[in-house]
Amino acid sequence: MRYPRIQVQKQNSMKQLSKNAMMAVAVAVVAAAIIAGCASSTPLRTEASTSGIRAAEEVGAAKVPRASLHLQMAKEELDLAKGLAIKGEQEKADSMLLRAEADAELAVALSREDAEKSEARAAVESVRQLRQDNK
Amino acid sequence: MKTKNLLVVIACTGLFAGCATVPNELVNAREVYQRASTGPAAQVAPAELHVAQQALTQAEQSFQKHPDSYQTRDLAYVAQRKSEIAEATASIAIEQKSQNQAKNDYLATQGKIVAKTKQDLSQTRAELVTSERNGEMKEERLVAEQAARTTADKRTVTAQAARNVADQRAANAQEERIAADMRTADAQAALARLAAVKEEPRGLVITLSGSVLFASGKYALLNSAMTKLDEVAFALKAQDAGKRMVVEGHTDSQGSDSTNQPLSLNRAIAVRDYLVSRGVAPEKITAVGLSSSRPITDNKTAENRANNRRVEIIIERESHTSNP
Repeated sequence: MRYPRIQVQKQNSMKQLSKNAMMAVAVAVVAAAIIAGCASSTPLRTEASTSGIRAAEEVGAAKVPRASLHLQMAKEELDLAKGLAIKGEQEKADSMLLRAEADAELAVALSREDAEKSEARAAVESVRQLRQDNK
Repeated sequence: MKTKNLLVVIACTGLFAGCATVPNELVNAREVYQRASTGPAAQVAPAELHVAQQALTQAEQSFQKHPDSYQTRDLAYVAQRKSEIAEATASIAIEQKSQNQAKNDYLATQGKIVAKTKQDLSQTRAELVTSERNGEMKEERLVAEQAARTTADKRTVTAQAARNVADQRAANAQEERIAADMRTADAQAALARLAAVKEEPRGLVITLSGSVLFASGKYALLNSAMTKLDEVAFALKAQDAGKRMVVEGHTDSQGSDSTNQPLSLNRAIAVRDYLVSRGVAPEKITAVGLSSSRPITDNKTAENRANNRRVEIIIERESHTSNP
C-alpha cells in the first residue's frame, strides 16, 4: 500500500510539533530557573536611596550647584545599583546603594546649608539696613 | 582624642596593608575627615562627625582586609560623604546661630529706635508745650501792652478832649466876657444917655433923680419915670447878667428919719419892682432905703437938696456887695 503525500507531510508536522514542544518546555524550564534564581536572592532595597533622592529634590537641591551635583550622582548610583542587581551582582548593587544614599543625604545637607546661609545673609542685611535708615 | 586614635588605626592599616595602593576614595575620605574634625564640626556637629568617624573606621577596616575591593572603595566614598555632611551640618548650625544673632540684633536695634523715637517725641511734646506757653505768655504780654497802650491812648484822648473842652469853655468864657464887656459898654453907654453913670469902687452907679421918678413925698412911680425905667431895664438886662444890682433910695435932710427912711426904702422898692417887671432878674436886684444918710452934696440949697433926693442903681462889681 502506498502512503499518500499527505500522510508523509503529516508525519513531518508531527515531528516539528514535538520539537516545538520540547523547545517550549526547555524555555519554560530555563525561565523557571531564572525566576527561581531571582526569587532565591535578596531584593534590592532601594527605599532609603529613593526617599533620600526625593527628599533632596523636595528641598530644592537641584537649584543649589553643589547639592545638584550630589543629587545627580545619587540618581546615577541608584541606576547603577539597579543594573548591578539585574546582572545578579547583589552585593555590588547593595554597596552602590550606600553611595546613592550618602550622596542623596549630602545633597539634602548642602541644600539646607545654602538656604540657611541665604537667610542668615538676609537677616544680617536687615540689621544693617535698619541701622542705616535710622542714623 | 578620637581623631588621634583614628590616625593610629590609619597608620596601622598602612603597615598591615603593606604596599597595597590606597584607593583614591580612601585618601579623599581621610583628608575630608581630617578637615572636618579640625573644623567647627567638632564643636557644633559632634554627632555627625562621630558618624563620619565610624564610616571611615569601617572603610579602613575594609581596606585592611580587602585593600583593593569595591567594598573598600564604596565604604571610603561613603565615609567621605559623611564627613562632608558633618561639615555641612556644622555650617548650618553656624548660619542658624548667625541668623539668630542677627534677629536679636534687629530686635535690639528696633527697640533702641523705638525708645529713642519715644524720647524724641516726649521732648518734642515738651518743647511744643513750652513754645505754646511762651507764645501764650508773649501774646498775653502783647495783649496787655496793647491794652495799656489803648488805655493810655484813651486817657490821652480823654485828656485832650478835656483840654479841648476846657479850651473851648475858656474861649466861650472869653467870648462871653468880651460880649459881656461889650454889652456892659453898650449898656453903660445907653445908661449914660438915660442917667448919670459913674464908676465907683462899689460898682457902676446909675443915679436917677427923685423928682424925675416920684412926686414930692410919694413913692409911686410917675408915668414918665416908667418910660425912662423901661430903657434903664433894657440897658440893665443887656449887661453882664452875673452881676448883682442894688437899688438905693435916698432923701434929702428935710423931714425926720422916721419919714425919710421908709420913703427912701419904698422908692427903692418901687424902682426895683418895676425893673423886675421889665425883665430884670429878681434874684439879682435888691432894694435898700438909706434915708438921708448918704448925701452927695450938702443940703444947704434947694438944688443940692434936689440932687440928694435920688435913686441909685448900683451895678456891683463881681466880688463886691453894696453896704447900706
